[in-house]
Amino acid sequence: MLLALIRRFGQMIFVMFGISILVFLIFFATPGADPASRIAGRNASPETIEAVRKSFGFDQPIWVQYYIMMKKLFITQDLTSFVNRGWKVIPAVIDTIPVTLSLVIGAAVLWVIFGMLFGILAAATRGSIIDKLLIAFGLVGCAMPVYWLGEVMNLFSQSRYHDTWLFSWVPPLGYKPLSEDPEGWFLTLIIPWITLAILYIGLYGRVLRANLIEAMQEDYIRTARAKGLSETRVLLRHALRTSLISFVTLFGLDFGALVGGAALLTEVVFGLQGVGKLTYDALQNLDLPVIMTTVIYASFFVVLANALVDVVYILLDPRVRSA
Amino acid sequence: MACLAIFCLIAVLCLLAPAYVSFANTDPFRASLDATVEINGVEVPVMEESTEGLALGYTPIGPTWQLGNYFLGADNQGRDVMARLLYGGLNSLLISGAATIITMVLATAIGLTAGFFGGMTDTILSRILDVLWAFPVYLLAISLSIVLIAQGIDLGIIVVEAGSLWLPIFIIAIVYIPYIARPIRGQVLALRRSEFVLAAIGLGVPEHRILLRDILPNVSTTLIVFTPLMLAINMLTESALSFLSIGVQPPDASWGTIIQDGQGLLYTRPMVALAPGLAIALTVLVLNILGDGVRDALDPRSKIKLGGD
Amino acid sequence: MKKWLLAGAAALLLTTLSGTSYAEYKAEHRGGTMRLLSRSAGGTLDPHINYTLQYWQLYQPTYDGLVTFKKAAGAEGFKIVADIAEEIPKSENSGKTYVFKIRKGIKFSDGRELGVKDVVASFQRIFKVSSPTSGSFFAGIVGADKCLAEPAKCTLEGGVVGDEAAGTVTINLTQPDAEFFDKLGLPHAVILPADAPAQDAGSVPIPGTGPYMFESYDPNKALVMVRNPHFKVWSEEAQPDGYPDKVQYDFGLSEEASVTAIQNGEADWLFDEIPADRLGEIGTKNKEQVHVTPLTAWWYLPMNTRLAPFDNEKARQAVSYAIDRKALVKIFGGSVLASPVCQVLPPGFPGHEPYCPFTKNPGKKWSAPDMEKAKKLVEESGTKGQKVTIIAEDKAISKSIGVYLQSVLTELGYQADVKPIATNIQFTYIQNTNNKVQMSITQWYQDYPAASDFLYILFGCESFHEGSDSSVNISGFCDKGLNDKMKKALELGVEDQAAANKMWAEIDKAVTDKAPAAGLFTPKHLDFVSKRLGNFQFNSQYYWMVTQSWVQ
Repeated sequence: MLLALIRRFGQMIFVMFGISILVFLIFFATPGADPASRIAGRNASPETIEAVRKSFGFDQPIWVQYYIMMKKLFITQDLTSFVNRGWKVIPAVIDTIPVTLSLVIGAAVLWVIFGMLFGILAAATRGSIIDKLLIAFGLVGCAMPVYWLGEVMNLFSQSRYHDTWLFSWVPPLGYKPLSEDPEGWFLTLIIPWITLAILYIGLYGRVLRANLIEAMQEDYIRTARAKGLSETRVLLRHALRTSLISFVTLFGLDFGALVGGAALLTEVVFGLQGVGKLTYDALQNLDLPVIMTTVIYASFFVVLANALVDVVYILLDPRVRSA
Repeated sequence: MACLAIFCLIAVLCLLAPAYVSFANTDPFRASLDATVEINGVEVPVMEESTEGLALGYTPIGPTWQLGNYFLGADNQGRDVMARLLYGGLNSLLISGAATIITMVLATAIGLTAGFFGGMTDTILSRILDVLWAFPVYLLAISLSIVLIAQGIDLGIIVVEAGSLWLPIFIIAIVYIPYIARPIRGQVLALRRSEFVLAAIGLGVPEHRILLRDILPNVSTTLIVFTPLMLAINMLTESALSFLSIGVQPPDASWGTIIQDGQGLLYTRPMVALAPGLAIALTVLVLNILGDGVRDALDPRSKIKLGGD
Repeated sequence: MKKWLLAGAAALLLTTLSGTSYAEYKAEHRGGTMRLLSRSAGGTLDPHINYTLQYWQLYQPTYDGLVTFKKAAGAEGFKIVADIAEEIPKSENSGKTYVFKIRKGIKFSDGRELGVKDVVASFQRIFKVSSPTSGSFFAGIVGADKCLAEPAKCTLEGGVVGDEAAGTVTINLTQPDAEFFDKLGLPHAVILPADAPAQDAGSVPIPGTGPYMFESYDPNKALVMVRNPHFKVWSEEAQPDGYPDKVQYDFGLSEEASVTAIQNGEADWLFDEIPADRLGEIGTKNKEQVHVTPLTAWWYLPMNTRLAPFDNEKARQAVSYAIDRKALVKIFGGSVLASPVCQVLPPGFPGHEPYCPFTKNPGKKWSAPDMEKAKKLVEESGTKGQKVTIIAEDKAISKSIGVYLQSVLTELGYQADVKPIATNIQFTYIQNTNNKVQMSITQWYQDYPAASDFLYILFGCESFHEGSDSSVNISGFCDKGLNDKMKKALELGVEDQAAANKMWAEIDKAVTDKAPAAGLFTPKHLDFVSKRLGNFQFNSQYYWMVTQSWVQ
């Protein structure tokens, strides 16, 4: 068991470094990404650019620069940004983590609960009008781009109907820390939670419904029915467990990615300074140190989430245990 | 089967885009900032200048609900949204469709292999999936878009130039492989231990036949369910990528680029962003129901189903 | 009259004779916290390095140089007045030496008094930290060449000499420079404590002498300015006191959200461009909160004169004839916000004489495109049918202009393509000749009010560097005759700015005729402020004077 964990952990490190090297290479392969001129300022003389190049170490070979950056990131922990010079990247990223976690965990709670409700209800009432409506709503949710939905929410809640009873409770955009202003924290996040969750509710509900319907036709379900168990019990206690495999897998993928900053468009639209927004800004500015840090941070969570999902498989479906 | 009809209708409408354009006598690819349109006998400029207050800004005309005459209004360059929507449908369906097919094929192959063979194969494939999923695709997209402006990439069989549609197809396809492969792998892991598979192995059936004949049909439900969902997600990803100028180049249109254009008009002409969104939703809905029908028709067990569909 | 005085005064053409007196300081409005919004931070806080409009606006009330641009609205804001120096010195040694007497009693925000050593150290620091303009604006100081070669050991020996006993600082130039005081008025030349770090201070504020100081700076969250406790007004026109007690500059909200926040009274102003679909709304619902001010800037289309098809002058002129500048104005937001231009120098600039050859009725103003003439020129040039790629930024307006230009070029007979690139890379990308950019869409805003800032910097041979990301002569234009004339005009400006301006006007016409770039329009600046904000003052050099407005 311990050996397996250590092996898995080793693989994780391997993946993370692999990605960081790829990112580094891509950055330097992009024409125009050379930061020296942009750092030096517009219309800088050639001597100025050279001086900047030297001071940032851009004249060194790539693998030396990579080594230096990794050292600054992990060992001395004083990696600074290219764009906002002198700004330490690691504390900046750490500052943004609570924001992203608040957004993502809240949304995850919503979509897991409603996704399951959707899926179970749709499977139970299979073929009926309720089923059809649920599918339709779910699909519409999938078809709306998150940034569009977010802007529309802002349009209604902040601009058009801000003064009506419907939305007057909505506070100004921007994150309020939980420790300082719990009520503000909650109210600010309600609409972002819903916006982010809508896409996933439709998707997860749909997947769960399909797996449930299929599971209901398995032999062991017939056994359960033959034993005289009620339909509900059959559905919830027996079919659900094995149907959750896809659900859980997807959740691991999505949650891992979101914690790592994949919710960037939601954060940008709602003015939440999370990891995603930091990544987005860094990409726009081609700020390599910040990109590297956020990429390594994100890949850590993705890999961790997937590892945890593999553990959960074993709990869900006993047949996997012996694999 | 009404759904098949609706889907065909959508496809045909898009194919008829050139006909609509000549009927409407408009050019959906050129800016028509000075054009005028006739509504109820009155000549109205397509880009209406703001005249009240400080006279700031120009607002494109809203939906006229007259076929052939800026039915859905104009976008911020004075172009007919309806015409662009029809042309865009072709591009969107093409890109998302191709990407979806590639994703499903590759992801199924990876998922089946990883789940069935286990061991080192599974470890390597799973780590590759991890790298794919954690990779910052936007960085790659930005980088590629700049590299390709200067020169294309020659891969022997395929030459990828800056405006080539292969680029978004591949990027979108690759991004979502883990999203399908991992659930498939999960299912296969469970199926691997089921009685009929063990029986087949015991009987000495060659492995590839077990994969194709026994395991694949059982994951087919998941695949069929995922396909329309992936189509929807791909169309939206294409929209995000088109913002970075990968894929459909201006002045060509796709539903994704029209949504992007519509973002800048949200406060005055929401229809520009709404129309392609609804188009995507409708297409996906129809394909989804179609998919269910196909699954029901093919699945042996659902013939003995207890409820109707 | 002393030559420099004539030079200095006339160089700033817009000096009117209005003789404005300063609005008295209204103590009842003093206090409160002003809230500003911006999508992102503006980079380093170091005034010797930062080259963004965003922070130059904030350096007005926080730092001071030997001289400064008068803190007044409108054209008065182009005047140079003495700041840390007691008065603007007359030049000696045929224009190569200036002796500045340093005021006594000015304190930094950490309490220390400013002295001669701080002035000397600040000029050395410009080179030590590799300020962007150290090589372009300050290379004329004696000893600068050594400093550019070895920045770390910069002493500017013989160039900037301090005399503690007399309380003066002497600056020696290698040759006379008509624009010297303008350059001294820029943030890159403000006076900092002698012990300021010898490298980019980044997000750590450096003490300044202005009425406000930077309290904290987190590029991901906010920038906070508070009053400088040690400040006392020494010159109303150079550095007046401000109204708000605190300025909170928050980063992160999108433009749409910021506009809504200002409408709801949650913020006072936003830095970014107002999205096009809100213009009509704020122009009607919030029209008293909108301020539109003319700018000395232009949007233009550099065409690469060293690559086909634009190495052919007729092809370039054809493009300029064919563009419907009115359509571009529509894309930008309407005639209230932009005016079409054909020539290089913007209206209101020294040396500007209205001139437009690329229109239906050539003369002073642009009226309509002349597509027939354009097509004829294309035929004559023999470049018809060639491929052209237009590089735009991936912002909405730039992209729309690109798409429009694509259709124009197609009509002219070229095979045109438009490629938007990430905004933060685009400007360096189009400068580098390795990228073989044929045509691009870009803007240029003045550094200071001098014709050379447009003509010589953008079209002079010395601004062109092969294979460099910093070659701001993007079109690669190099005409020896015109270049020599520009140098002559610069020299002439030392003695007789009015004559020099006439020369610049001729140069403007000549460069415009050769069409290395097509002028598109001059934008006006739009400021959207909250209801409670009062006394909005716009300075032509530094834009809205933040702390001269009140919030209560």
